[in-house]
Amino acid sequence: MELTAMSLPAALLAEAQPRTGRPGRPMDEARFEMFYRRTAGALWSYLFRMTGDAAAADDLLQKSFFRFLRANPELATEEHQRRWLFRTATNLAMDHFREHKRERKREEETARDHEAGPAMEARQVLRHDMMKTFAELKPRERALLWLAHVEEADHEHISEALGVKAKSVKVLLFRARKRLGELLTVKGLAPEVRR
Amino acid sequence: MSETCRFEPEILRAAAADHWTDALRDHLRECDHCIAAAAVAPWMGRFARISDREHILPDPSVVWLKARLLQGSADAGRAGRPLDMAQLIAYMVVAGGWAAFLMWRWNTIEAWVHRLTPSGLVASAARAESLSMSFFALLFVLASMTVMLAMHTILAEE
Repeated sequence: MELTAMSLPAALLAEAQPRTGRPGRPMDEARFEMFYRRTAGALWSYLFRMTGDAAAADDLLQKSFFRFLRANPELATEEHQRRWLFRTATNLAMDHFREHKRERKREEETARDHEAGPAMEARQVLRHDMMKTFAELKPRERALLWLAHVEEADHEHISEALGVKAKSVKVLLFRARKRLGELLTVKGLAPEVRR
Repeated sequence: MSETCRFEPEILRAAAADHWTDALRDHLRECDHCIAAAAVAPWMGRFARISDREHILPDPSVVWLKARLLQGSADAGRAGRPLDMAQLIAYMVVAGGWAAFLMWRWNTIEAWVHRLTPSGLVASAARAESLSMSFFALLFVLASMTVMLAMHTILAEE
């Protein structure tokens, strides 16, 4: 798809490569390494955009893979394994939010106190601003938007990952898009769609 | 309701490339879902493209090894569960044994303790019949069990 080639980071583009993993066998180290190299980049990006914290994303990434290896799910295809992994990672991220709610508020206040200083590079400033905008959304909205726009997941996949009914995804996604749209409008970042 | 609008993928592509056809523009006039998608798609695309390359991911072999170690300790914990249960039962048996023993011969023990003075020991030396062999045998068994259990607990913790 054109959008994939245009918008996805390198780790996601690797997903488009043919997959050699054979399903139905217990995962050995070589197979795990192949699977990890194909999925870890995308999963880390997802977790980092969800949490806004590289260390937390690292931690959740490893926990997700630990669970994956412990459960050793015998799924039909690597796509199913990938879905399983994203669902587990989403659950872990939601648990992380519940556990660190107070801590996060304190960190956000500290971050506001140390707003992008002059030493920060333009690229970092952009990243910082985008992360800040995204962080204004609820965790579930972030997950919905990332899965729909970056992972290009269908509603069924999103409903599995978030543990919501498939019927609700369309409405939830619409609300999340509206909310992000409003935030972008307030910040003057909304695109002009010529009608 | 759960189905994606069939135009949505094209709308997302058009929004990302800012390349709109008349058909897509017409559709945008009537589909709220696609309007909302188009409004955020370019920003989400830029957001996804922010490079994460400076971040080094944990090495897969390290993740594999850690997972194996965690699995090993989880397995050990599972395997040790019957032993823990046996240990708990042993604690209860020994404690119950001591309680029953003390209740059974409390008067004798009390009298025996009261006689533990130099004069009392001399006086009772000739009357060893006050404490039976079964009393001493039971005392020995319970004391041995207590010591064994204590040793097992200490060694297991180490």
